[in-house]
Amino acid sequence: MNAQMKKINSYLQELSLEVVVLEDSDIPAMGRMLNAICSLSTECEKKGASPLSSLTSAVKDYLEKLILGEVEGTAPLEEGITCLLSIFRSLSHQEEFEQDLTPLLDKLGSKTAVKEAGAGSGVDQPTEKEAGPGSETPGLNAEDKQILHDFIAESLENLAVVEVRLIHLEENPDELDVVNDIFRTFHTIKGLARFLNFEKILQLAHSSENLLDKARAREIKIDAAVVDIILESVDALKSMIMDVQAGLENDAAIDFKADIAPTIAKIEEYIGRSEKVGSKPLGEIMVQKGVLDQNIIENILETQKLAPGKKLGEVLIEKGLAGSKDVIAALRDQRRYGRKEIDLQVKVDIKKLDTLVDMTGELVIAHSMLRRNERVLAGADQELNKLLNQINQITSTIQKTSMSMRMVPIKNTFQKMYRVVRDLAKSSGKEVNLQLQGEDTEIDRNMVDDLYEPMVHMIRNAIDHGIELPGEREKKGKAPTGSIDICAYHRGGNIVIEIKDDGKGLDKSRILQKARSQNLIDGIGDPTDPEIYSLIFQAGFSTAKEVSDISGRGVGMDIVKQSVDKLKGRIEILSKPDRGSTFIIRLPLTLAIIEGMLCRVGRERYIIPTLAILESFLLEKKHYFTVKGKGEMVFLRNEPIPLIRLDRTFGIPSDATEPWGGLVVAVEHDGQKRGLLFDEILGKEEVVIKSLGDSLKETRGIAGGAIMGDGRVGLILDIPGVIEIAKDN
Amino acid sequence: MNLDMKILVVDDSPLMRGFAKSSLEALKLRNVIEAKDGVSALKALKKEKFGLILSDMHMPNMDGLELLKAVRSDSGLKHIPFIIMTLDGKRDVLLEAVKKGLNDFLMKPVTVDSLSKKLRKIFPN
Repeated sequence: MNAQMKKINSYLQELSLEVVVLEDSDIPAMGRMLNAICSLSTECEKKGASPLSSLTSAVKDYLEKLILGEVEGTAPLEEGITCLLSIFRSLSHQEEFEQDLTPLLDKLGSKTAVKEAGAGSGVDQPTEKEAGPGSETPGLNAEDKQILHDFIAESLENLAVVEVRLIHLEENPDELDVVNDIFRTFHTIKGLARFLNFEKILQLAHSSENLLDKARAREIKIDAAVVDIILESVDALKSMIMDVQAGLENDAAIDFKADIAPTIAKIEEYIGRSEKVGSKPLGEIMVQKGVLDQNIIENILETQKLAPGKKLGEVLIEKGLAGSKDVIAALRDQRRYGRKEIDLQVKVDIKKLDTLVDMTGELVIAHSMLRRNERVLAGADQELNKLLNQINQITSTIQKTSMSMRMVPIKNTFQKMYRVVRDLAKSSGKEVNLQLQGEDTEIDRNMVDDLYEPMVHMIRNAIDHGIELPGEREKKGKAPTGSIDICAYHRGGNIVIEIKDDGKGLDKSRILQKARSQNLIDGIGDPTDPEIYSLIFQAGFSTAKEVSDISGRGVGMDIVKQSVDKLKGRIEILSKPDRGSTFIIRLPLTLAIIEGMLCRVGRERYIIPTLAILESFLLEKKHYFTVKGKGEMVFLRNEPIPLIRLDRTFGIPSDATEPWGGLVVAVEHDGQKRGLLFDEILGKEEVVIKSLGDSLKETRGIAGGAIMGDGRVGLILDIPGVIEIAKDN
Repeated sequence: MNLDMKILVVDDSPLMRGFAKSSLEALKLRNVIEAKDGVSALKALKKEKFGLILSDMHMPNMDGLELLKAVRSDSGLKHIPFIIMTLDGKRDVLLEAVKKGLNDFLMKPVTVDSLSKKLRKIFPN
């Protein structure tokens, strides 16, 4: 290679290295390229007219237009430089360059097509050729060989690293760094293959790079299938590089044996799939870009409904509401955004979320402490109040968001029930059809696991005790196939789960009989329906005549109760003979925060979970009476319920000794209703539950503590505990 | 991007300097120093540390291209991002500037939109 050829070679190398990483509108990089190409052009002109010089000037023109923003897209530039490299390679090997340059020159926008492209047409033949010991290899000189050796070594090393990283990626698909690393390897190999003119390697590396680029942009989700494809591509690349090595060692022509077409096809298919993702409506994009007003779009969409067939873009241009340029720009954006719509997700350790939720709770408290600070209350500073309100809004948004991050759809738990129902129905000889509703209802992640077991027990109960055998059902005039409906929904800050069967319903007299024989109930008075039903939740209770494989051993329903209690929820049973039973579970949305009624007794303040509250009323003397053996009673809508005086329960002084004039909060637990007597109701509040610590954990009647807005502590009442204490007294 | 960085705006027209300055201020870049030509710009550059240069192309004494060359050949200054503000966008001069290490160019008068686009390219943050 003579000095001139060496110069040309170095400029071309510089150009090809730059163009591989060139981004549209990277002016400094294009400046460097322009310098290289100008020098190249000078060198070429010295050699006289040639395909090399005409293509060089076409590439230069295109680059200049690109810099000035007159054209867009680096692809023609890349193609041009690749072609320059191959012309140069033919020249330096004293071969003929026979490719027709016209299409490429057209692409580069050059009007001067070269027809004289061909052998020796005014081209100075290189005068020397480096003759080394290895020069027998067809078309390769010592320098080329060294480059090839480096290429092989580097690529194989990088690909080995990629394999390891891919396995890691499969397990941690969200680690963008790893995707980037892998992408870079393919990118480097692509650049080198282009330079060395290994077309097949270039193609495959290019395709894989595209796929990884999509993965990098989160347009493709990395799953086992993607990892498989990339691994396949790595293997093919490796085998091709080994082919290069073989060719080099044997001084033979390089023969790529690998068939890369299927791999490329797979990759393309994957990329294609990602591009079919739905996109934003055109109108929305135009509103976002500020081209149009929301109202206008809505009007047009209305008229479009009346006369369908025309696209929104057409209508807009027709009515002169938007220029065609704007519509086209928006349509292009639409295509671009469309591909980015795949949901971006990050995996987060649940512990971090828990901490976030806790800290948000603290923030809420700190904020309300600030609000109630005496100095803040005293000062009538408008600005301060405005700021406080603003912080209030932000805090509650953070709170909602952080809570929602821990929410997952109940779907997974629900769908496990199909299997449970199927297996149970089969083993009991019954036919049961399960229907699910509200699977998308969200529930605190921390509650999901605790919900599974009680649900299984309830379904067992429904199939075992509720749904009859097909023959029995037909006798009753019901469809032979029984049905169980499970549905979930949100209501009033709670999540409600209903499990409904159309079986024979709960047998009240049998339950009572059984309960009496097991001394689970005192013989006095007539228990109400809910009280009877709740008996089945007692430990050791079972009405099944025979102990079955599934239920009837007396374990099960008490577990349901315990689990629901643990989740601070409430369970309720509705039942009608031969029509079936419904179990209704109400759970707070989350375990961290409860909504409660804040009530005062003397100097103490208690929080009653709203889930337990039926209603509250001012106690009048006429509604108060005493029953011998049962103590104080009050009327709740003409229904007598026992009154519990919290001052006596907890041994604290209250405002008055007479109960009338005080406030009664009627609560329900296990179908038992009680009236709790307070001095004052202070209001409803959402509080963050705090554990009382180990030493106070076992305090009866208290479920936990909460720091109130003014910084003082309120105690959360444990209703079953309170009822127990009252009974003991 | 450091919002406190010093920015040098070079133009012989006070009006054009005003456009550039107000656009910069709209982008919360308030630390702007003005110079009326390349010579005084170089003086200012030698005295203080700048984070960005916005310069006109055609100016008396020393034009934008000359200023760019001077900046790029001074080891202490050559890393400062350099944007040319141009009215007519003459190809040859612009391309020459690009070859000399220009970061970007802007059509005059400078608007907030065009400026913020270019700045985002130079300072990705």
